[in-house]
Amino acid sequence: MSNQKITVEFNDKIVRQFLLATVVWAAVAMLVGVLIAAQLNFWQLNFNTSWLTWSRLRPLHTNAAIFAFVGNMMFAGIYYSTQRLVKARLASDFLSQFHFWGWQAIIVAAAVTLPFGLTRSKEYAELIWPINLMVVVVWVVFAVNFFWTLGRRNEPSLYVAIWFYIATIVTVAMLYIVNHLSIPTSFTHSYPVFGGVQDALVQWWYGHNAVAFFLTTPILGIMYYFLPKAAERPVYSYRLSVIHFWSLVFVYIWAGPHHLLNTALPNWLQTLGMTFSLMLWAPSWGGMLNGLLTLRGAWDKVRTDPVLKFFAAGVTFYGMATFEGPLLAIRSVNALAHYTDWIIAHVHIGTLGWNGFMAAGMIYWLLPRLWSKPLYSTALANLHFWIGLVGILLYASAMWTSGITQGVMLTAATDNGTVLAYPNFLDTLNAIRPMMLMRVIGGALYLTGWLLLAYNMVRTIRGARPVNGSIEVYAEPAGTETAGLSLLGSIFNPPVLFSVLAFAFACAWMFGGDFMKIAGIVGALFCIVAAYLHYESRGRQWAAWYDRLLVTAMPFTVLTLIAVIAGGLIQIIPTVVAQQASNVEDRRQIPYTPLELAGRDLYVSDGCYLCHSQMIRTLVPDVLRYGDYSRLGESIYDHPFQWGSKRNGPDLARVGGKYPNIWHLRHLQDPRSVSAGSNMPNFQWLLTDATDLAILPKKIAVMRTLGVPYPPMSDAMVLANARAQAAGIAEDLKAAGATVAPDKQVIALIAYLQGLGKFEPVQHKGPEQGSRLND
Amino acid sequence: MSADPNPHPTEPDVRPHVYDGIREFNNRLPNWWLFTLYATIVFWVGYWAYYEWFRVEPEGARSVELAMTRIDAAKLAATAAVNIDDKSLWAMSRNPVFVDAGRQTFEANCVACHLKSLRGKSESPTAIGPDLTDQIWIHGGDPTDLYRTVTQGVPAKGMPTWGPVLGPKRITEAVAYVLSHHKEGEPIVIDTSVSAPAK
Amino acid sequence: MQNTSPFKPVRDQVTTIREDGSRRFLYPADAPGRFDRARRAAALALIAVYLLLPWVKVGGYPAVFLDVAHRRFHLLGLTLAAQDLWLLFFLISGLGFGLFFVTALLGRIWCGWACPQTVFLDHVFRRVERWIEGDAVKRQLLARAPWTPSKILRRAAKQAIYLLLAAAITHLFLAYFVSIPSVWAMMRDAPTKNWGAFVFIAAATGVIYFNFAWFREQLCIVICPYGRLQSALTDDHTLVIGYDWARGEPRGKPGSPGAGDCVACERCVSVCPTGIDIRQGLQLECIGCAACIDACDEVMARLGRKPGLVRYDSLAGLSGRPRRRIRPRMVVYGVLLVIGASVAGWSASGIRPAMLTATRMVGAPYYVDGGTVRNQFLVRLVNKRSEKVTLNLSVRGLPAAATVRGLEAPVEIAPMGEEVRPLIVQVPRAQSALAIVFEVVASDAAGSFRLSRAMEFLGPEAAPDSPNSHEPGPRSL
Repeated sequence: MSNQKITVEFNDKIVRQFLLATVVWAAVAMLVGVLIAAQLNFWQLNFNTSWLTWSRLRPLHTNAAIFAFVGNMMFAGIYYSTQRLVKARLASDFLSQFHFWGWQAIIVAAAVTLPFGLTRSKEYAELIWPINLMVVVVWVVFAVNFFWTLGRRNEPSLYVAIWFYIATIVTVAMLYIVNHLSIPTSFTHSYPVFGGVQDALVQWWYGHNAVAFFLTTPILGIMYYFLPKAAERPVYSYRLSVIHFWSLVFVYIWAGPHHLLNTALPNWLQTLGMTFSLMLWAPSWGGMLNGLLTLRGAWDKVRTDPVLKFFAAGVTFYGMATFEGPLLAIRSVNALAHYTDWIIAHVHIGTLGWNGFMAAGMIYWLLPRLWSKPLYSTALANLHFWIGLVGILLYASAMWTSGITQGVMLTAATDNGTVLAYPNFLDTLNAIRPMMLMRVIGGALYLTGWLLLAYNMVRTIRGARPVNGSIEVYAEPAGTETAGLSLLGSIFNPPVLFSVLAFAFACAWMFGGDFMKIAGIVGALFCIVAAYLHYESRGRQWAAWYDRLLVTAMPFTVLTLIAVIAGGLIQIIPTVVAQQASNVEDRRQIPYTPLELAGRDLYVSDGCYLCHSQMIRTLVPDVLRYGDYSRLGESIYDHPFQWGSKRNGPDLARVGGKYPNIWHLRHLQDPRSVSAGSNMPNFQWLLTDATDLAILPKKIAVMRTLGVPYPPMSDAMVLANARAQAAGIAEDLKAAGATVAPDKQVIALIAYLQGLGKFEPVQHKGPEQGSRLND
Repeated sequence: MSADPNPHPTEPDVRPHVYDGIREFNNRLPNWWLFTLYATIVFWVGYWAYYEWFRVEPEGARSVELAMTRIDAAKLAATAAVNIDDKSLWAMSRNPVFVDAGRQTFEANCVACHLKSLRGKSESPTAIGPDLTDQIWIHGGDPTDLYRTVTQGVPAKGMPTWGPVLGPKRITEAVAYVLSHHKEGEPIVIDTSVSAPAK
Repeated sequence: MQNTSPFKPVRDQVTTIREDGSRRFLYPADAPGRFDRARRAAALALIAVYLLLPWVKVGGYPAVFLDVAHRRFHLLGLTLAAQDLWLLFFLISGLGFGLFFVTALLGRIWCGWACPQTVFLDHVFRRVERWIEGDAVKRQLLARAPWTPSKILRRAAKQAIYLLLAAAITHLFLAYFVSIPSVWAMMRDAPTKNWGAFVFIAAATGVIYFNFAWFREQLCIVICPYGRLQSALTDDHTLVIGYDWARGEPRGKPGSPGAGDCVACERCVSVCPTGIDIRQGLQLECIGCAACIDACDEVMARLGRKPGLVRYDSLAGLSGRPRRRIRPRMVVYGVLLVIGASVAGWSASGIRPAMLTATRMVGAPYYVDGGTVRNQFLVRLVNKRSEKVTLNLSVRGLPAAATVRGLEAPVEIAPMGEEVRPLIVQVPRAQSALAIVFEVVASDAAGSFRLSRAMEFLGPEAAPDSPNSHEPGPRSL
């Protein structure tokens, strides 16, 4: 090795940019969070303004927390660590800058559009289609920049952090594209191509794995770099890294249906969602333990170093959240907890505890290194830790209490379980109102802690000179000690082949006929035994193979993609093929009238789905409270589906016809006038703003393209139909003593609400064919 | 604190590679941790076999239908009459135990509109509910009609939905109490002039 | 002093996980001493509290009876309904703050002295083990011995007693939720009669048995989140168990020149229930049980040296710097605790023996009936006491011309019962467009408490086109 050495200067400017953006957007996300938490207590806080209303701001809060806060943090951490782990400068300064400014432009665009009700209504996928395209472009730029850098690396072998980054990049791309497939009706509006149950499955395949691959895997990668660096300790276990990485990326994808337990989702999917969620416990805790036991060797430093404090607590909260997750995915626990604040507690343990604390630890560690100046105040950082911890404690205990209280009250029944103990939803809401106040206090404390970090950062940076790291590498990369693998070589290897075969047999067992079942179970067992014997005798080969895999980025990426794609394929393809309007059983939805469709788009735009589900679960308390359980076919034409994920108010699946029109009018105008104690905001603008009817023909045309059976109607017929229905409702309201012009939005919304729950019985009750996927 | 007072008796297995100063031990995780992973996989196999293969127990829609059938059965059992049919309701209306229980329910919940005398508007023009003692009925005068009207209510006219509030037992008793003011077989006049449009 | 520990703890690995991933069982030696005695006393007191709470009656109910089935929660004479369950928040957050405060002040005192895991493990299950199998050396020998009848007998007896104890703990736990008489009744019934409770008991017994018979310190090391947060919550002035470096090092045999006070007898290691060496400083596994203090003090006493080579002290104190008990954090935590306790006390004192809620009946918000407008409500009354209560209901704040129906008769509510009454309010059409907010009031005959609820009266717009006789229209579109 008589090679000359050259110095590589890292691109740390991009890290500083993303770091500053992280701090700013995190504060914005938390501030919006505190505001909307306060609005649940004080409904007046929307000041009768549409764009300040809870249901418009809630998507802003979630998107800001996920994509603006954690997104920027992730990019900062990935760019800082990757350059050092592969000993190369980021491939392209232009792409890096494009990535940064493109991402900030997306965030600003989101912050402008969401409050104005421009939304696709799918959670964490609300942004409208032009912004979706921006996201795809920027993500591709990120991927190109990252893999190009890997291609130019001076360190042949890939460290575990890089594995997690690779998994993040390919999986998020896959999830994002599939869940955002839609057909535009205008520049700001589109309908997703999937409807009803398909849309629900795709959405939660995406939503669950956004948590997995946007909020978890990149942060685990960041943990694997920054935690041992800060603790100055070796990572506890490489072998554990291997096991928990592959099991995590493979298993995570399957667990999406646990967001739809006890709904109209076919049972086999629910079973997969629940059982794979339980399987996730060990891999998740593997990551936590590797971090924790790495810290263990430097445990006395946790006492004094705020960076390690944040990491220790962050990893602990990760453990708590990933213990709670599988617990909540158990069908019976989920029956109580779903739609309640328990879920809110769970996700905030994750975001505040895991993401927030890991971010804070990383920022406090990076600041002195990126600006070559000691942190302004360690005491302030310690104070941030304590305030943050107290904030999380208050927030989580308030939401746990609230969720369990409401869950118990909603399921409580008397008279031998035949009569609900609290038939009025408001009784349960009023019982948890004090908890909503406590959560505001907890959230505000956490925000205060974050502002301390911002102040600490400003004082540290002020007058400091930004510095870029550098490293000396050989001008000509040395030949690696390990020979790499070709793509074929990476696939045709005992570990991969055994896994793929065992998986194929397992699928045959799950979905095959009787013979296939037996063959599948025998085959899978055989694979497991064979793999075990092979590993026992040739374990060294496996390790050597993996060492070789680690020096080849492309085959590694392909294997990762194969691992993450399997779950989605198995779940989504049968659902998209089998669950169509033409072969639903029992009941089929009746398509909305033009005016109802307009009202539905208002329902989506105003974010009603964020508080009201449209899914009566196959649970006795739900049926007693809201009526017959929702059938799969009853929302088959809903693009997007509106099953909802949280009940701040009652379910609306069968609300049509339950109340007279005047009730809805009064309720939307001032909910408390008809529902004493309600915390729903006033939707006053619905009474003054006009419905956009002109676009209806175009929307119906798109619906028809999507397979909704609208009869042939000319544009004029569509409009006439809508106007006639609107006039009828206005007439009825006038008779009841309220004057509203028929063109107002509230008329369309009432039309939609009164149309909810309409279905036609399906005649063909043929022989049970394909029942495997239909029940 | 300064140097480690207890030098390692054995240096644990360390990976040969160093990444930006980060070394990796190759320690084992507790075997019991691995067993939890295997146990959840076995659980998946068992759960799938139980519900999706052998279908030992119904789940989802089938299970809620069964549960609702049980609840409906319990409701029927709780109504004291085996079936809510005209005959048994008439029979109950002649039984002082039911009638007395029904009177209590009626006086707690119904007298605000129908008055203690049950005569409603006939007794006082300002009363809200119609007379329940005459032979003129608005929503049907058979005992099962009464039961249905009380349980489902007539929301358009202000008759509340009592089913979820009172439950079937107390509703049957209250209906028996009302019927005790009538005779089986007496003529029934349906007053369509005030009846709500058909559903 | 024989060394009973066959292992040497290091900081790169976890003692209880062997090289091959299998479990290294610990046989912590006895460490009699003042902390041992004090800890045992504390543990017995706590176990007594746990045993007695469901038995002792306060105000007619067990001191703690969380009656989930009827959604009534009895706590030391205070009865809460489901609607009051939010007070649970103060319990959870108070527990959290209490732990923060105590940890900042006294380190992991909770883990070593009060946590049920330690209390039952050290003072119940390990006592049984000690009694049947002998001291640490004997226990190790027995573990290595071949399966002779005597070993089988001892082991079987031990496991049987463990199972019994686990079952007893579980039954008592269930009693907190269904009360002692019900547990007793269920125990005499066939399991199939109370299948849910039986499955719970069986599963919980299994888990508790597994935990205390096998899992033990793994729970503290791997599972418990509070164990990890502790180091983040301690600081230089927190009281922890530590080794006095300056005094102890370098280690050496008694009398060897230049040696410190530590004679490297490894007693502190052999008594440790989590398998660490306290001389390596603050560690993840340390539960602060003080066994090593007792062990070391005993050795020091025998050598005629001062006790306290291993002692309760702050890290500042151990390194010879001044100690500070009162730190700003302590004040902040203290203030927060006091505030929390006050708010909790104030909220709990606001808990009335009965509750009143009012909601609108399902249907139209108002009905126009000739010259009057009618609103219909349901008033729900809940009695949280174990005796009957009679409430008088009234309405305030309505215009004089309003008619109120449904609240005439006093309402008698059975113990722990609920009653529903309709409330019909009629207001002349002329006044109905005004924003009328009125109050539903209930008070008991003695006037000892008063409940109220504000409601809104609704009517059609002021200037309707057709003033008369319109019912709200049909629902069909």
